Amino acid sequence: MIYYLLLPFAGIVLVVFQNTLANVLFSGWLTLELSLVLVIYAGFRLDALKGAVLAFVTGFAFDCVSGAPAGLFAIIYLLIFIFSFFVSLRFAAEKLALITVFSLACSLIESALLLAVYYFVFKFENLGDMLFAFILQALLVSFLSAGAFYMMHKMERFFHGQTRQFPRRAAAGRISAQA
Amino acid sequence: MFFKNYRTVIFICAAVVAALILLSYSLKYASGTGMVKKLVLEAAASVQIFFNIPVERTKSAWTRYIHLVGLEEDNRKLRQTVAELQAQLILYQEGRLEADRLRQLLSLQQEYQHSFLAARVIGKEQGAFSRSLWINKGSAHGLKPGMPVMVSQGVIGRITDISWHNSKVMLLIDQSSNVDALIQRTRAQGIVRGAGTRDCVMRYVSKTQDVREGDLVLTSGLSNIFPRGLLIGRVSNVGRTDFGLFLQINVVPFADFASIEEVMVVTGVPVQDLAGEKTVK
Repeated sequence: MIYYLLLPFAGIVLVVFQNTLANVLFSGWLTLELSLVLVIYAGFRLDALKGAVLAFVTGFAFDCVSGAPAGLFAIIYLLIFIFSFFVSLRFAAEKLALITVFSLACSLIESALLLAVYYFVFKFENLGDMLFAFILQALLVSFLSAGAFYMMHKMERFFHGQTRQFPRRAAAGRISAQA
Repeated sequence: MFFKNYRTVIFICAAVVAALILLSYSLKYASGTGMVKKLVLEAAASVQIFFNIPVERTKSAWTRYIHLVGLEEDNRKLRQTVAELQAQLILYQEGRLEADRLRQLLSLQQEYQHSFLAARVIGKEQGAFSRSLWINKGSAHGLKPGMPVMVSQGVIGRITDISWHNSKVMLLIDQSSNVDALIQRTRAQGIVRGAGTRDCVMRYVSKTQDVREGDLVLTSGLSNIFPRGLLIGRVSNVGRTDFGLFLQINVVPFADFASIEEVMVVTGVPVQDLAGEKTVK
């Protein structure tokens, strides 16, 4: 229960932290999406309920802080979480090369969805200028994901003696109703 | 039972639907002032303030550092500029001083009715027994041995050795130098001889003559070498001993021999200054 109570605050802190860091490092030119890395990690490591709540809350916090339409990042993060969750049924999170490529794909999907919404809903033009930034951002997220997964893997080994596994997900090739 | 078995799936679907409704609602009404959003923004602002403290401090320190680096660079450039300007200033000062000296030398021409030739000092010789200068004019310029050499303050010596383009000037303070002189006030005559230091002595002035400290000493023009009436120096001391026929007179030349850079060589003298005729020699 404490997880669900602390999650909104943790989500807000994470989003504000990543915005501050991006402002310091890139002067707002790029977004350092640690929240996306967290959602992908949740897709691989957390159970579906906790992960979905995390994705929704983090996305909503990002919506509020970034000024995007409420629900935009929430739905994108939820979709990415579900995608990650399905991928995690087939692939192990220890394969860092896979994580890197997968994170790159997730970030590009996110960018594509954002561009689509802004193009079709808000009728934004000159979105091509943002393409370069989105590609850089996707590369950044992929490397950050690899680093984050590696660190978490080490930390899990340090605290639990071995990488934590969810038996219901590791054993089955499908989503369990109990997951 | 169904709900319990598919709780997670149902919840995820509900979350997706909720997000879609939220998105649709916000897109349709564009209301960014919902209660939840306000709460999130309020919390985010507090967190932002918390994160901004170290960021601002780091930025401030960095800005100060960059500013200091800029200051160091500015300081280095300014130092370089100051050094260049100082060098330029020294050059200008040298030019002005040289112009002053040359102006003073040229004033000799108006003061005396002699012909002069300006020359630059190119060397100094200060041995134990000789005090002389080298100047950059010689026989090719019309100079001859024996010609008097002056500065604006007065006579400094005469040419002794000469080559085509250089000449050696024996200074008044050289112990071999002898110049016919007189005391301006009393017209008492004698010979000014170099004392080997910075001074000269005036010899062969009778004890009966009235000579005092401060009296001006001029060339007498009797030797046909130095024109009459050129300033030599000032009497600094007059000694009267019980023995001997002459006074012991010390004369301090007006010219500062250590700082002479340009001189005027007297190349032509009205004969009246030497022998009473009104032609220029």
